[in-house]
Amino acid sequence: MIILPSKIILFAVAGAFLTGILCSLIGSFIVRMNLSSLGFCMSHAAFAGAALGVVLSFSPLMMAMCFSTVVALILGPVAEKAKLDTNVVIGIIFSLMISLGLIFLSFSPGAAMSSTALSILWGSILGITIEDILRLLLITSSIILMIVLFFKEFQAIMFSRKMAEASGINTKPFYYMILFLTGITVALSLKLVGGLLVFALMINPASSAYQFFYDMKKITIFSPIIGVLCCFLGILLSFFLDLPTGASIAITSSLIFGLSVMVSPKRKRG
Amino acid sequence: MIKLKNVETVYEGEKTPVIKDINLEVKRGEFITVIGPNGAGKTTLLETINGLLEANGNITVFGKDIKKYGTEIRKNIGYVPQDFFCDSLTPFLVKDVVMMGRFGKIGLLKSPSRKDHEIVEKTLSFLGISELEKKPIGKLSGGQLQKVMIARALAKEPEILLLDEPFSNLDLNSRSDISEKISLLNEKGMTIIMVVHDINSIPERCERILMINNGKIIEDNEREKVLRGAK
Ligand SMILES: Nc1ncnc2c1ncn2[C@@H]1O[C@H](COP(=O)(O)OP(=O)(O)OP(=O)(O)O)[C@@H](O)[C@H]1O
Ligand SMILES: [Mg+2]
Repeated sequence: MIILPSKIILFAVAGAFLTGILCSLIGSFIVRMNLSSLGFCMSHAAFAGAALGVVLSFSPLMMAMCFSTVVALILGPVAEKAKLDTNVVIGIIFSLMISLGLIFLSFSPGAAMSSTALSILWGSILGITIEDILRLLLITSSIILMIVLFFKEFQAIMFSRKMAEASGINTKPFYYMILFLTGITVALSLKLVGGLLVFALMINPASSAYQFFYDMKKITIFSPIIGVLCCFLGILLSFFLDLPTGASIAITSSLIFGLSVMVSPKRKRG
Repeated sequence: MIKLKNVETVYEGEKTPVIKDINLEVKRGEFITVIGPNGAGKTTLLETINGLLEANGNITVFGKDIKKYGTEIRKNIGYVPQDFFCDSLTPFLVKDVVMMGRFGKIGLLKSPSRKDHEIVEKTLSFLGISELEKKPIGKLSGGQLQKVMIARALAKEPEILLLDEPFSNLDLNSRSDISEKISLLNEKGMTIIMVVHDINSIPERCERILMINNGKIIEDNEREKVLRGAK
C-alpha cells in the first residue's frame, strides 16, 4: 500500500531529474545557436506522430518518438540541400507537422482516443516506468559523454560556425549531431513534460544560465542544474496546487528565467 | 603554395559568379596585398582560397585539392575575417576565442595542452593585448576585437595568413604596430595575403599587389608598378 505510491514517486523524481538535465543541456546549445524554434518544431512532430499512433491504434508514444527522431534526422540535410536557413526549414516542418497532427486526429475514432494524443502533448509524470528511466539514463549519459569528448568542437561552433570551419574543424557532423540529439531529447522528454512544454524546459533554464556567465563551460554545467531545479519545483507546485505537471514545470522555468533576467549581472549598468 | 586555375565562385542561390577567370599562383613566403573597390570580390577571393566558399575550377593549396582536403588545409591557414561581429552576451572569454584558432590543429578528442596555452599567451602578448585575456569577447571595442581575431588566426601558427582589411578598426598607432608585426611574420617565412582599402597602409615589405575589379584580377604586378598606375 505504501510501497506502490512511493515507487511511483521515486520514478517520477528520477524521471524529472534526468529530463531536467537532458533538456537543459541540449538547450544550452540550441539557445546559443539560435535554434530555439527547433524544440518547438520537434514537439509538434511528436504531436503529429502521437496523433497518427492514435489513428492506427499503435503506441502513440512510440510514434511520437519516431516522428521527432525522423524530423531531427532530415532537418539538417534538407536545409543544406534547399540552401535555406535552418530556421526557415524548421518553420516549414513545424506547420506541416501541426497540420498533419490535426488531420490525423480528425480521423481518430473517438474523443477518448484523441485524449491519448493530447496526453502526449501534456505529459504524465506519474506514468513514468522503469524502462523510461533506463532510456533517459542511457541517452543522458551518452549526451554528456559526447559533450565532454567534443566540447572543443561544440564550443568553436557555438562561437561561430564559419570561424570554426576556418580553423579546420569539419562542422557538419557536429551540427547534425546537435539537431539529432535535440530530436531524441524531445522524444524522450514527452513522458514527463509533454510535447508542448518540453520546449520551455529546453529554452528557459539554458537562457537563465546565459544571464549569469560569460564562460560556455559554466553555462553547460549550470543550465542542467537550473533545469533540474525547475523540474523539482514544478513537481512540488503541481502536487500542492493540483496542477498539471508539465504546465507547472514550464511556469516554474519561465519564472526562474524572469528572475534571472532581473538579477542578471550582465544587464546591470556600471 | 597556392594555385588557382580558372576559378569562379558563385554564391549559394545566385546565378552569376562574383569572381571569375581567376588565375593566381602564390609562392611560399610571398606577401601579397589585394586592393579594389567595394563589392569587387576581395573577401570572396580570400574565402575561395581557404575553401570556405565552394568554387568551380582548380584550387590547390600545399599541393592538395581544396575541395577534397579543405578541413586539413585550413588547419594551416589563418583567416582574419572582415568586420567580425560578436553580440555583447557572447559567452566566451578572449583567451577561449584565441584558443579556438588552434582547435583544428589540436585535433579531435584531444584537449588543449600546456603548450597550447603557452602559445595563446605568447600570441596575445605578441600583439600587445595580454590584458584582455580574461575579458568577455562581447565586451570589446571594435579595434580590440579585431586584434583578438588576428590573435586567433596567429595562434594556430599557420603557414598562410589571410587578412581581410585588418586595419579597418584600428587607430594609427595600432595600424603601424600590427603592420610591423605582420611584416615580421612574413620575414620569418609566413605567406601572407592581405586585403586593404587604403593603399597608404600597404606595408613596405609587401612587394606584390593584386587589383580586383568586378570580380576579375585586373592587375597582378610588382608593388611600384601597380601603385604608379593607381596614382
Ligand atoms: N553571401 C553572399 N551572397 C550573395 N552575394 C554576395 C554574398 N556576399 C557577397 N556577395 C556579392 O559578391 C560581391 C563581392 O563581394 P565581396 O564581399 O567579395 O566584396 P569585397 O571586395 O570584399 O567588398 P568590400 O570592400 O566592401 O569588403 C558583391 O557584389 C556582393 O554583393
Ligand atoms: Mg570585403
